[in-house]
Amino acid sequence: MLEYAGSQRTGLQAHREGVALVAVLRSIDWLLLAGVAGLVAVGLWAVKGVTRFDFPGHPTYYLDRQILYAAVGGLALIIALVVDPDLYRRYWRAVFGSTVGLIAIVFVVGRAARGSTRWINVGFFTFQPSEFGKLLCVLALAGFIAERARAANEVRTTLRTLGLGAIPVVLVFAQPDLGTALVYLAAIAAMLFVCGTPWKHLTALGAVAVLVAVGVLWAGPAVGVDFLKGYQKQRLTCFTRPATCPVDARYNVEQSIAAVGSGEVNGRGVQNATQTRLDFLPEHHTDFVFASFSEQRGFVGASLLLALYLLVLWRGLRVVTVARDLYSAIVAGGIVIALLFQIFVNVGMTMGIAPITGIPLPFVSVGGSSMIANLAAMGVLLAVHARGRAARSYRR
Amino acid sequence: MASATTERERPRRRTAPPGDGEGAAAPPYRVTQRLTLRVAVLGVLVLVVFAALFLRLWALQVLAGAKYVDQAQANSYRTLRVQAPRGPILDRNGRVLVLNEPAQAVLLWPNDLPKVYTARYAELTRIARVTRVPLYEIAAGIKRRLGDPLTPVVVRDAASTAMLTYLAEHESEFPGVGVGRTYIRHYPYHSLAAQLLGYVGEISSNELQTDAKLGYVAGDEIGQSGVESTYDTYLRGVAGSERLHVDSHGRPQGSVIQTVLAKPGHRLRLTLDLKLQQAAEKALQSGIQFARNNGQWAASGGAIVALDPNDGSVLALASSPTYEPSVFAGRVSLRALADQGLTQKTAQAKNYPSLDRALVGTYPPGSVFKPVTALAAMQEHIVAPYAYLPCTGSYSSRYDKAKVPHQFHNWDPNVNQQMDLPTALAYSCDTYFYQLGDLFYGLPKDRGQPLQKWADAFGFGSTTGSDLGPEAPGLVPTSGWRLRTYTPKLDPCCWAVDSLWKPGDSIQLAIGQKDLLVTPLQMARFYAVIANGGKLVTPHILMDVENQNGAAVPVAAPPAPKPVGVDPAALQVVRQGLWEGTHLPFGTSYGVFGKFPVSIAGKTGTAEKVVTLPGYKGLQNQSWWCGYGPTNDAKIVVCVVIENGGHGGTAAAPAAMQVFARFFHVKAQLAAPIHSD
Repeated sequence: MLEYAGSQRTGLQAHREGVALVAVLRSIDWLLLAGVAGLVAVGLWAVKGVTRFDFPGHPTYYLDRQILYAAVGGLALIIALVVDPDLYRRYWRAVFGSTVGLIAIVFVVGRAARGSTRWINVGFFTFQPSEFGKLLCVLALAGFIAERARAANEVRTTLRTLGLGAIPVVLVFAQPDLGTALVYLAAIAAMLFVCGTPWKHLTALGAVAVLVAVGVLWAGPAVGVDFLKGYQKQRLTCFTRPATCPVDARYNVEQSIAAVGSGEVNGRGVQNATQTRLDFLPEHHTDFVFASFSEQRGFVGASLLLALYLLVLWRGLRVVTVARDLYSAIVAGGIVIALLFQIFVNVGMTMGIAPITGIPLPFVSVGGSSMIANLAAMGVLLAVHARGRAARSYRR
Repeated sequence: MASATTERERPRRRTAPPGDGEGAAAPPYRVTQRLTLRVAVLGVLVLVVFAALFLRLWALQVLAGAKYVDQAQANSYRTLRVQAPRGPILDRNGRVLVLNEPAQAVLLWPNDLPKVYTARYAELTRIARVTRVPLYEIAAGIKRRLGDPLTPVVVRDAASTAMLTYLAEHESEFPGVGVGRTYIRHYPYHSLAAQLLGYVGEISSNELQTDAKLGYVAGDEIGQSGVESTYDTYLRGVAGSERLHVDSHGRPQGSVIQTVLAKPGHRLRLTLDLKLQQAAEKALQSGIQFARNNGQWAASGGAIVALDPNDGSVLALASSPTYEPSVFAGRVSLRALADQGLTQKTAQAKNYPSLDRALVGTYPPGSVFKPVTALAAMQEHIVAPYAYLPCTGSYSSRYDKAKVPHQFHNWDPNVNQQMDLPTALAYSCDTYFYQLGDLFYGLPKDRGQPLQKWADAFGFGSTTGSDLGPEAPGLVPTSGWRLRTYTPKLDPCCWAVDSLWKPGDSIQLAIGQKDLLVTPLQMARFYAVIANGGKLVTPHILMDVENQNGAAVPVAAPPAPKPVGVDPAALQVVRQGLWEGTHLPFGTSYGVFGKFPVSIAGKTGTAEKVVTLPGYKGLQNQSWWCGYGPTNDAKIVVCVVIENGGHGGTAAAPAAMQVFARFFHVKAQLAAPIHSD
């Protein structure tokens, strides 16, 4: 097709103004969508088996809820797909402000569970702002970064981004929810990485991160300052030095590893998965759902799940390259790496190769906030892709 | 594409995006090479992460899966030990002396207690309150089970229905608590033969180390004394097991998967005769009462042994004071033990009720030992049985070179007549036997110490090898023993004198005094030798063993009676003396047995012993009587000792008579006022 100078941009703008939904729909990454749908399906299948015996006489208690969450999440995905991501860029300040407010509100009206205040009770549903915060934060910070794209090489830009990002991170960390705070950090790092922050800055950041870790884990306690709660530190040091770990702290991991291992190739099935059924594995419908699923479905099932994740991540990274603009690319990068981080820490935790943090497994762990937020994030990814493709088709 | 073409004509921009201050055209966004590189880096990161996850998954599930299957199964199965009901103990006629009662025990698996200290402590406190067991006892039980997570701690044997109901209703508040079936010992005759039968208790960690080979495990009940201990292997049965599926709180899921039935313990039949035992215990009490009525205020304990003289089977074995063995059944409370005198603190005040005086009570025998001297003297030909020796009020050793020789007194200072050996036995003439002792002393060195040699041959100075339980060997003093015992170290002041064997040692040994110590069982065994014509029997209590179906279980036969090599003629002389002692008016127990419907032969004994009692230290007479009946075809040997009971004829003999009366089913009455020794 013949192209004229300027015609692309004209066409692009024209498209942006009009809601050419058909074009967007035509440009959907069907493979990504199929991957997400597969994950939701496998996740529901996992929840069905894993929670079969959790409520005596009500085998589908959690499954029913999870299906509802998935349906709401599907709706969120469609909405996110339809909304032009440029909207978030334009109003990133509002997005950022409301995100921080939402997270902060937990401290006022939040409901505490297991020593941590992460939830807000909204009648029929306990709502966990920090889950939605992951996506909203990425959308907002990407806006901030995209504005300064041309100054990406400057130290000031990097530091400002970090300073802004530190607000939600500190709030989440103070809930306390160390795991989710780390997800935020991973996403921020990914966004800086994608926007073109120089390697020099990135290396310096990495060094600072190492220093902070050392300070929090060893130097801080040595001089009597504890940033982390006892159990958080125990979990982290248990992972690095299992031999020195007290039995109580090791218990969950040992039970989890035994659950994963006992699944063998084909799994023990729902009836015979004793680690899950007899409650040896704690939190098997939330944090340790992967271990339970692996016990019941074996290497075959677990591999299927991991393969679907890999598919989604691959398509997600591809979205970064087809993004229409830098903002979209940064958003896609943040979402994908946050997802990767959650998958690695959660799955790794159940197999003893990552520290224990209370991060849910995306699309599988029972929980409405996580399911809806993750599906919405996938919707944003799809939207970025669709608009990027649509734009590219004009460019041709 | 047609619609797209029209859209191209639209104006480029309507509103400037916020932040884009210039409002001028931003450079079109292109995917730069740098971004592509960075996305590739992220792609590599994803691949590395997933490679790690897949490898770990592979290692756990495919390579090491079998190991974790085992681990998971071990997690969820629990093997419960099912206690076997302990075998009952019967008397020789099949009357049940000890049996089992089923009960429910509260068990605790410490591993399933809450891991958090405060919650754990709170639960233990609740358990203590519900079961009324002090918290420190539960804690001690848990400590005993450290390193052994599979065996539950028995919090309380024999829990009441109210406790069990409460625990069942509040099951979720008591993780790790379960109820197990158990059996507790029941004693229908209360304190009957308490020391002899023994009691049962949980195996201690020390015992566990020594008996581990026999298949005992922590938590097992094991016989702690008496027959329960000796024949524990027959009584205990074989524990069964149940495999259960449990959840992470130890709560059973579903029914029992696999069961190995417990094999109940065997039925033990004893040679003991319930009725005779009851009579013996009653007789012992009345013997003590006789002594007290005679002014023997310190009379408090004693023992009665009744044996079959022909095979040594124990017919009755009483020891006083005694206790209620039921305090050891179920939950053992220290207070109950203290009340029974079974703790260290209260044992003395209650005069050591757990002691089986028939086996471990050692007393100087006094005159009941005289037949030993008589037999030894005849065997060694130092006295002719029918030659006359003077029986006088006192005697001094012919080897005593002192200016004023030491005088050894007869119990009857006014006697002065010639006596042959049977009469001296019947009359229990001390001076007659002093002379024999002096003669033993005067034997040339190469003859050794024949009196002690014969005493050894009759079973003194060593345990009898019975199956009754631990025994005291007693003591037969010899010159060698004096040398060994009185060393400069142990006796700094007087060892030079004390270590010598002096005439007085032989003289006093001849009448069973001074250092000689015997147990009632040894003495009964010796009288069995006299009664059965010279065979030393091994006392035993076990008659036979049956399994639960009534089939006999082979057991080792008791050792056959061994001839001691005593001349039957000499024995006959002693038998005559013992017969005269009960049948002729000068006999020391004529007053008791003279008119007894069955012919009884026997000997009194009054042994002086230095005793220490609260507020008193000095000599007290130990009252003895040993004998057998019928005289010429003895069916029973009875030996009685009443501690601090005074003369043998006044306390021990009447008590012995009651045992004979029960054994022969006759009514007894005293022939004459009891006179002496």
